[in-house]
Amino acid sequence: MPSVSQPVRVKVLFFGRLKEIAGRTQESIDLPAEANIESLFAHYASHYPELQQYRSSLVASCNQEFAPWNTLLHAGDEVAFLPPVSGG
Amino acid sequence: MAAPSADITALVHEPIDPVALTAYVRGNADGAIVIFDGFVRDHSQNRRTLYLEYEAYEPMALAKIQEIAAHLHNEFSIHRVAMVHRLGRLELGETSVYIAVSAAHRAAAFDACRYAIDILKRTVPIWKKEYFEDGSVWADGELPPVPSATSAVKPAS
Repeated sequence: MPSVSQPVRVKVLFFGRLKEIAGRTQESIDLPAEANIESLFAHYASHYPELQQYRSSLVASCNQEFAPWNTLLHAGDEVAFLPPVSGG
Repeated sequence: MAAPSADITALVHEPIDPVALTAYVRGNADGAIVIFDGFVRDHSQNRRTLYLEYEAYEPMALAKIQEIAAHLHNEFSIHRVAMVHRLGRLELGETSVYIAVSAAHRAAAFDACRYAIDILKRTVPIWKKEYFEDGSVWADGELPPVPSATSAVKPAS
């Protein structure tokens, strides 16, 4: 059924100050086909404008590996937005 | 792939036991153990710290710590590694991260231990919130390097 666009359900995780801004630690969301990490972040930034200022100081992960912003998302993927890390 | 090792890698929510970890990495063929004991300082940027809270993306953080330990075996002539990070609320003076590396000779142990803590601080998804008398702040951190966009299209996992 290539002509039918299936929504892509992904799990999204928030950490650090992003968790505080989004008011949640995780959620599942349905995305249009061809969605990537950048468009997913834009979705949240439109709901939580305060997020936008952190865009340039975040990295993203997909399925627990660091991932570029243009990574295409597939059903079942686990995406996280990660502020600068400060362990140690 | 590293040689099959008996390293200890963990994220814990209780106090870290440095004596047990150090004893664990110590082998009869070793001649040296180098330890990094990171603990909670009583100040940060001229403010008096009350306590810290650490959180992690736990499964990814543990996987990254295990990658670091495996990498140490590939790069340095070492015997065993213990790498443990604590999460949750930590009081002043409590150990937040403990790394012990054993080796036949000191140079490899020093180099591996230094490498391990430096890479941990740069790449492991753990975050620290500092609490002061007049508020709290997420600590400044480092942005992990991300693979280039040319490999962006991943196969479905």
